[in-house]
Amino acid sequence: MTKTNHSEDEQSKNNIEVWEDLVNIKDLVLSLFICSFTTLTAYFIAPNEPPQPLFYGLIGALIGFGICSYFIKPKRSMREAESEE
Amino acid sequence: MDAVLIMQMIMAAVLAAVIYSIIGIAPGTDETAVLAPVTLVLVLTGMEPIIILSFFISAIVAKKLTDSVPVAVAGIPGGVMSTPMVEHALVLKKHGLTDLSIRKMASGSVIGTTVAVPVSLILANALIPVSDVIKDYANPLFFFGAVFLALMTKNKILALASIIPFALLIQGLRHLYWGVGVVPEGTNVFISFFLGITIGPVILTLFELLNKDKRNSLQRFGKKDITYNKKNRYKGIPNPFKILTGKELLSSSFTSLIGSLTFIMSPVGITIFLGELFTSRIKDPVKKASRAISSMDGLTNAAYISGTLIPLIALGIPLSPMAIGPANALFNAPPVFTLEHNMHHVLSNADFIWATLIGAIVAIVITYFIIVKFSNQICAFIFTRIPHEAMLGLFFALVLLLAFMDAGWINIGGVLLIGMVAGVLHRWGINYGVQFMILYSAPWIISKLVG
Repeated sequence: MTKTNHSEDEQSKNNIEVWEDLVNIKDLVLSLFICSFTTLTAYFIAPNEPPQPLFYGLIGALIGFGICSYFIKPKRSMREAESEE
Repeated sequence: MDAVLIMQMIMAAVLAAVIYSIIGIAPGTDETAVLAPVTLVLVLTGMEPIIILSFFISAIVAKKLTDSVPVAVAGIPGGVMSTPMVEHALVLKKHGLTDLSIRKMASGSVIGTTVAVPVSLILANALIPVSDVIKDYANPLFFFGAVFLALMTKNKILALASIIPFALLIQGLRHLYWGVGVVPEGTNVFISFFLGITIGPVILTLFELLNKDKRNSLQRFGKKDITYNKKNRYKGIPNPFKILTGKELLSSSFTSLIGSLTFIMSPVGITIFLGELFTSRIKDPVKKASRAISSMDGLTNAAYISGTLIPLIALGIPLSPMAIGPANALFNAPPVFTLEHNMHHVLSNADFIWATLIGAIVAIVITYFIIVKFSNQICAFIFTRIPHEAMLGLFFALVLLLAFMDAGWINIGGVLLIGMVAGVLHRWGINYGVQFMILYSAPWIISKLVG
């Protein structure tokens, strides 16, 4: 890829490609744990009559997604281009 | 049909349009992976089938509308189906016409939807008389589907050779579960195996990260650089018939028609073929690219809708790449839906028409207008706020949950195993279509093998 000098140096060259986009291994592991934890916890505290546990699990997954989106920075840098013909 | 139900359908469609507009923009979101788990969960909650169908139709239309955005803005495919468009979108991007590119693609999508809905409804009804014959041969058909799709892959012999081993793995696990008693004998664990195949590539990569040598040898990247233009906001009310030129309208309508008729084939292949066919003689690179992306987008959209609706209305068995992938839960999501009792059997013809119309119209109204007007702002928000890690975490957690629900803790191991194997097969170029067909035909294959 093109060589560009990024400002956040300790972060750079630390990402790998999974499924067409870049992730940081530590962040990925963290995210997998957080989402799995919130999902399964929600599932187990749900009242035991279907489809309640499934609903709770789904909400748990979304909570996990929210937490991860809040704490983990996307590995993309946006640059505004001024070039226009 | 009463007003309350219609309201619920509209609400479901609005919800789907909003969620899948966001997901569609996030790069690297595979159609099957993002649509199948959510649809499965909705079906399992026992929600009214007609509401789920409007949700699903709205979801695919919105997803198709928005997955052109990352292609145009960054040259990153928003999904597998938008991969063929990347090269043409990059031409427009190079000329600084990202906004034009988005408008053309989104308008092509609208044309695709408009053509595909009536065509699939007509075609489905025409196919109903032969459906009884087809249904009697469902099991061998899935097997021949696997063979057929295997022959369409790059490494034909490799794909053919993996059919029986993969079927053995699936049936082997099922028999193990019956043997240890976590699942009653005769009940086929299906949902979680399906999802295991879906996220197989990710599971394989995750396991490889545990291998130190492999981890160290992986290519490292900095950040993904994405350039975009902030200006150029579209003024007025977006209208696809104005945004597309006469020729573009014509070719996108035609490709959409072909996309609907060839619902049983892989849409990616046809997209590449027709896209080339229509544009090879155009010299001006900008005209060529905008013609290509509008027709391709129309086609993929049409292939989505017809691939879902035709098998659903006419057959009740998932005999198209779309039906067996993203739309799978509408056909088979035990215990709610089985191949003998699913949306095909529950909904009437009028129900299908209503659900499709509501879903498609809601998604077009919401997503098309928003995309044409605010594509840059939305892109910037998603690219800077939604980390890829969170998306992977979300889907991994859903798979874990459904695996546990299917057959308890032991099945989490089982799904990881299926995922590893499926991931390897995927990497070898044996696509989802082949793998899902094997999943469906595994019991039949094994019963024929032992005679």
